[in-house]
Amino acid sequence: MRLSAEECRALARSAVSMTQADQAEAVVAATDSALTRFADNRIHQNVAETDTQLSVRAVVGTRIGVASTNRLDDAGVAACCERAVASARLAPEDPGFPGLPSPEAVATPDRTSAATRAFDAEARAEAVRGIIAPSARRELVAAGTVGVSDYAVAIANSAGVDVGMDVTDVRATVLSMGVGPGAGSGWSSFLGISAEQLEPRTLGEHAAETALRTRDAEDLDPGVYTVLLAPEAVADLMDFLGYLGFGAKSFAEGTAFTSHHEGEPLFSGSLSIADDALAAEALGLTFDFEGQPKRVTPLVDAGVVRGPVTDSYYAAKLGRENTGHALPAPNPYGPMPLNVAVAPGDTPTASMIASVERGVYVSRFHYVNVEDPMRVVLTGMTRDGTFTIENGKLARPLKNLRFTQSALDALAGVLAVSKERSLVGPAEGGATLVPALLLERWAFTGQTG
Amino acid sequence: MRDIVSNAVDAAVAAGAEYADARVVSSRREELSVRTGRVEAVESGESLGIGVRAIVDGAWGFAASSDLDAASVAETARRAVRIARASATTRRDPVRLAPVDAYRDAWTGPCEIDPFAVSVEDKLGLMLAADEALRAQRGVAVSKVALDFLVVEKVFASSIGSLIEQRYTESGAGMTAYAVSDDEVLPRSYPNSHGGQAVQGGWEAVLALDLAGEAPRVAEQAAALLTAAPCPSGPTTLIIDGSQLALQVHESIGHPTELDRILGDEAAFAGTSFVSTDDLGTLRYGSEHVTVTADATIPGSLGSFGYDDEGVPAQRDHLITRGVLTSLQSSRESAAAIGRTSNGCMRADGWNRIPLVRMTTVSLEPGDWSLADLIADTEDGLYVETNNSWSIDDRRLNFQFACEIGWEIKGGKLGRMVKSPNYTGITPRFWGSCDAVCSAEHWRVWGVPNCGKGEPMQVAHVAHGTAPARFRDVEAGVGR
Repeated sequence: MRLSAEECRALARSAVSMTQADQAEAVVAATDSALTRFADNRIHQNVAETDTQLSVRAVVGTRIGVASTNRLDDAGVAACCERAVASARLAPEDPGFPGLPSPEAVATPDRTSAATRAFDAEARAEAVRGIIAPSARRELVAAGTVGVSDYAVAIANSAGVDVGMDVTDVRATVLSMGVGPGAGSGWSSFLGISAEQLEPRTLGEHAAETALRTRDAEDLDPGVYTVLLAPEAVADLMDFLGYLGFGAKSFAEGTAFTSHHEGEPLFSGSLSIADDALAAEALGLTFDFEGQPKRVTPLVDAGVVRGPVTDSYYAAKLGRENTGHALPAPNPYGPMPLNVAVAPGDTPTASMIASVERGVYVSRFHYVNVEDPMRVVLTGMTRDGTFTIENGKLARPLKNLRFTQSALDALAGVLAVSKERSLVGPAEGGATLVPALLLERWAFTGQTG
Repeated sequence: MRDIVSNAVDAAVAAGAEYADARVVSSRREELSVRTGRVEAVESGESLGIGVRAIVDGAWGFAASSDLDAASVAETARRAVRIARASATTRRDPVRLAPVDAYRDAWTGPCEIDPFAVSVEDKLGLMLAADEALRAQRGVAVSKVALDFLVVEKVFASSIGSLIEQRYTESGAGMTAYAVSDDEVLPRSYPNSHGGQAVQGGWEAVLALDLAGEAPRVAEQAAALLTAAPCPSGPTTLIIDGSQLALQVHESIGHPTELDRILGDEAAFAGTSFVSTDDLGTLRYGSEHVTVTADATIPGSLGSFGYDDEGVPAQRDHLITRGVLTSLQSSRESAAAIGRTSNGCMRADGWNRIPLVRMTTVSLEPGDWSLADLIADTEDGLYVETNNSWSIDDRRLNFQFACEIGWEIKGGKLGRMVKSPNYTGITPRFWGSCDAVCSAEHWRVWGVPNCGKGEPMQVAHVAHGTAPARFRDVEAGVGR
């Protein structure tokens, strides 16, 4: 049984009071998580973990040191506080350090579920059986996960910040695969707060149906095509845009496209993106790792570049508002948007497909990486459901395709944004809320097979 | 810690486990980073906990906790048993483990100068000197220097009677100069990208890198990239330096030859493999110049240990022999599935994770060329150094890598510098095009401390020994 948010807050306050420094901040994260993993239509890995971690940031003048531990007896906590202070005393002054932030009002909606907390190993095994069944019935092979996370995070500092929150989430994934030459594959996933929302058989059916539809996939010549990216593929684009472009650190260093194009209409007018941890669909914390409220932050407003998100350090450095996007100190990445939400359009996905005479449908990407951070040139593969779109219909399944494409260029050519949106992500820290996007130009540069 | 793991195993067996093992892992780390003159991090951390694996009714369960109180440890063991019972409800064939002897032993990795005994002032002094030297170069807008240290102590016990204690220290260091214009960010790193070089060893490994001494050259190359030519597009003869080739080995040989992946255990996340178990002894993976070993016994490598995390002794095995697939990286369970014994590749990312099949030191064995002779022997081609980006498909066939820097080769000589060279290929075709590997004097073990696999995600510290090698007819300059 993990510590509650209130217990985490008490531990964080205690650690702050024990830290003999000019300023101090403590982050406590307690987790009780479990993951049931299946492959070849049976559970092959089934794990559970209970842990509590304490991280202390000590400030002496403007010298900063950070220490962490999961040894939470009195001696362990005291030693952690002392190590943070010792590191701070040896660090050089950081003239840009603005001081730890003061308390701000934080909304803490109930993002927990009793059903998720009760979703034990037996219940997860039952869900797995439900997910597997549609594949097994069709002589397909299913692999995936059913996982639950029940955690609390609390932050306290010597300026009076004292916040905490309990969170639960459930995630399930399934890959259904055929066997032998010409076999196809299909994918489906779920992410939510409550285990009651999970529909194992529906998930399994979707993946199995797609696996059957992708049998005997065909070749596609490399070239530039109109593409319809399903939400999971769009989420990959958003993750890289957020990581490379919408954090204040790369913005300040001049290494992000936002550094050079803020206020410019770089994208199609139909595209609006924000970071919104307060959305009804959002998962995770509503405050950042300095205990500041995560403010709804426009990143792209009708195609115009906005942002970036900030934390206390970069807000002071750039003379901007602190948007509340700090990661745990010392944070080499700078502030990051973890709850990216793309505004929905008004076109049903089915109508988007119907509007395409010749194009490619991509259900999701695999192993995307960045080749040029400034232009957000990405390369990766398609996976588990790539089709031609011919005369307004999903037509022939395609072999997995490699793309090499600037996300900036692609998002300058948005033809339509779907009405429907999906929550995609690993859940830790947040998730991405995305529609499907119809893009005018997308460069496929190779294929497997 | 011995009593704790033994008690955990006993509790699991008492609760009904047919097999159980337990690991207590204590780790301590220190991370320092300097970026463009600012000390960004002086951070230390520690973690302690126990993980218990159990087989019940032929199925696996695992539970982990940071609470090492005796009652809690027993409850963690019983929780692993309960979870295993739930797993068994979907079981077909019971889990079978390849045999291994019981060992009672201890192993310690190399470390001459304890990095945790070196003062923070000395570490920051070295870093700030390197950072200043990087920033002295006009055109370098952002600089980064990082040091990382880790010491791990773990005790393993199993219900077959093993009790193994291990301790190792890791040290990592690296730096990057970023040349920045309005539309480009061009990194140049030393001794490697993505954090630098990491080894099992101590402060002596950091000193040997001479970061400050190398900084002017690194910064100068970064600045020169701003005016370098773009990478030519099309098929070419490619000579790849050791550090980039290490990642090429990692992605296109290391991962595809993991037996758990081949058997489908990772299908839904990292993917499967184009290799099948039927390919052993027959698959032409590469040319006759391609011999690849998996070796957990190389002193100072991130991939070395005395025993893996299920108590199997460290081994050296030939995965590819003169181009033909001859072995696979395995665990006790996966090896049993193909009628072999484990070659000892099971490792876990800490006390709270199960062991998975992970690379040890997977190396391309050296050939007999000098790099100078290899370049002189190449009429027209491209020489590339240092990874910048990597991507490979879910069967480990279609890859694309980008590097930090390259030079055209014309008439057997290095010519003009090119920026951001990339190349793509299909795994067996690519390795089949290898017609030369440089000699042992160019061969070096590169640490890769960021290998992701599994759910929940685990990060393994692995390594690859490589020397520069030449490949014919490789597609380069993709999308350039």
